[in-house]
Amino acid sequence: MTQRPLRATRRSILAAALATPFIGHRAFAALPPITDAIGRTITLKAPAERIVLGFNYEEYTAVAEPAGWDRIVGFGKTLWSDWRPFVFKRYLVPIPRLADLPDVGNTDDNSFSLEKVLSLRPDLVIMAAWSFSSLTQQVQQLEALGIPVMVIDYNAEIPERHIASTIAMGIATGNEDRARTLAALYGDKLADIRRRIAGASTKPKVYLELGQGGAGVVGNTYWKGMWGRLFDMAGADNIAAGKIPGAWGPLNPEYVLAADPDAIFIAGSSWANHPAAVVTGFDAGIAATRASLAPYAKRQGWPELKAIRAGQLFAIEHGLSRALFDYTATYYIAKQVFPDRFTDIDPVDELRRYHERFLPVKFEGTWMARLTPSAT
Amino acid sequence: MSAEAGTAIAAWRRANARRTILVGVTGILLVASFAVDVATGPAMLSIQAVLRSLLGIGGDPMLDAIVRTLRLPIALMAVVVGAALGISGAVMQTILNNPLASSYTLGISAGAGFGAALAITIGAALPVPEAWAIPLAAFAFAAIACALVGSVGRMRGATPELLVLAGIACLFLFQALLSLLQFLASPEALQQIVFWLFGSLLRASMGKVGIVALVLCIAVPPLLADAWRLTALKLGDDRAKALGVRVDRLRLRAFVIVSLLTGAAVAFVGTIGFIGLVAPHIARMLVGEDQRHLLPASAVFGALLLSAASVVSKLIMPGTVFPIGIITALIGVPFFGWLILSTGRVR
Repeated sequence: MTQRPLRATRRSILAAALATPFIGHRAFAALPPITDAIGRTITLKAPAERIVLGFNYEEYTAVAEPAGWDRIVGFGKTLWSDWRPFVFKRYLVPIPRLADLPDVGNTDDNSFSLEKVLSLRPDLVIMAAWSFSSLTQQVQQLEALGIPVMVIDYNAEIPERHIASTIAMGIATGNEDRARTLAALYGDKLADIRRRIAGASTKPKVYLELGQGGAGVVGNTYWKGMWGRLFDMAGADNIAAGKIPGAWGPLNPEYVLAADPDAIFIAGSSWANHPAAVVTGFDAGIAATRASLAPYAKRQGWPELKAIRAGQLFAIEHGLSRALFDYTATYYIAKQVFPDRFTDIDPVDELRRYHERFLPVKFEGTWMARLTPSAT
Repeated sequence: MSAEAGTAIAAWRRANARRTILVGVTGILLVASFAVDVATGPAMLSIQAVLRSLLGIGGDPMLDAIVRTLRLPIALMAVVVGAALGISGAVMQTILNNPLASSYTLGISAGAGFGAALAITIGAALPVPEAWAIPLAAFAFAAIACALVGSVGRMRGATPELLVLAGIACLFLFQALLSLLQFLASPEALQQIVFWLFGSLLRASMGKVGIVALVLCIAVPPLLADAWRLTALKLGDDRAKALGVRVDRLRLRAFVIVSLLTGAAVAFVGTIGFIGLVAPHIARMLVGEDQRHLLPASAVFGALLLSAASVVSKLIMPGTVFPIGIITALIGVPFFGWLILSTGRVR
């Protein structure tokens, strides 16, 4: 009983202390309600100042610029620093803060720590839809403490979610105009692709495989999300559609031979500790990419495939399958299967221009390439 | 004669006092481990802050959330689950007269694992929220596994050999079903299943702690009431019968009680198995075979082992939480080995 007045005083002192830094922002008009990627509504009084960011770091950077990272108090570090170490290294230069920012773990390897998140005292938690779905209990606990959770989703490759995620991050960080520019650019590019492929009489057959283990390993292919949706948008016929139980998984190699696709894409990246992987990305020279891609053309039965005989074997950066700049990959796929409809489009140059306009790192390396140097 | 009886009684009293002291010391270690468990975590809070929050005078909702809704349920869960697994293991080893028996051997954990995987795979189609659907399904299938083994025991006489064989058949059945589910599951569900099988205290909440504690409170009194009959069983079935124990009924009764206890424990934390095997052995080496001492001692050692593992799992990689099932084996095995070598009388 005697504790109560004491507790009340402490609480009011704390509330006053917490409110002080935000008084400046009260001058702004209240933010419009934010609709996140899965249609939830989040209301913020002012742009968030202490954000925990779970995933989609490049998209956040494009929306909020390097300065936007000053608002970040913790992030799911290993998905960037360990999955894409060479990309992470590039972003460390314009955003040195990345080196010391606390890691909150991630749901992918069960390392997500709610305690760590709470100890950082965030005023907004941004997480990818695939994390959100496995953190039901933690989300409830965050919301009970008045910490809003905003869901972003670039993995599903649903254009509306790309746009909603981008605009939501824009409003939440006080960068709405820039976010709307990005979203409009993305929407325009998709509309351009749709216009170009409209009325095509055939749907060329395509196959994509993750090239992490090299030609000796049957890697995952994709259907509903990620690459699967990009193929749909490019007007191609994905041979894996309906043939794998989930959204991704390996396809029976025999089925690939039987389906005889018109074009084959191997998704590469700059993975650490995967010596046989197809290398793409900032640090990949064209010769290295082609050398790592070459063994695929010699796989059992593959030299007889239509795609290989026609020189339609490509390496493509895997990171392009769940990003705001993935329209460049869609352009690339569409251009390979409908070459005469995309003669004036250079997908690699589209990606370069996106980097120049929106990202703090210089574009270089090999991100999308054909095995045989004859054509681009 | 009477002098001899007097020394024997005195020796017995001394032995009893020694046992009480050993269990008491372990109890103190358990309290210490529990305190460290609540005091540590990736948030690196000060001891004062933790204490203030526990006493309700912190006044900081964020600290309260960390200490009271995250750390406290986990620390309590480690204690109740560890105790439940320790007791179940001790009773299993006694009724099956087999030092290798645990809820693993008899397919109870495999049943729970399959139930959890089923709930994860079906997921959104279930009418209950996932946080409860998974433990419910895990418990239901642990009970089904127990019923399968138990009905074989009822039909053909509950000899240890028959129960172990029926249990192993049950184990393989549920493992095969689990593999089938893993083959069919989507990659996200597969990942969740694997993490569930690893075992984790992170899913703890006060409500779940309460349920395990309740099951423990229901299961322990009948087991303690049977303590001397269980001790008699260790002399062999024939001698126990001669002492008036109805061994088949006792065996089945105890089997059902500890299966449900195990089912309730693993349903919430996943298959943390090693505790049920090792805690009773440690207890037996220190207090002997008399079930009146063995059962409480197994509970306390099980709780201590899991609580200590919970602390270590946070210290190994500060910031992330290491799967606890791996830790229990990694700290349990060397300790167990040291005990075997130093006493040389494990059975």
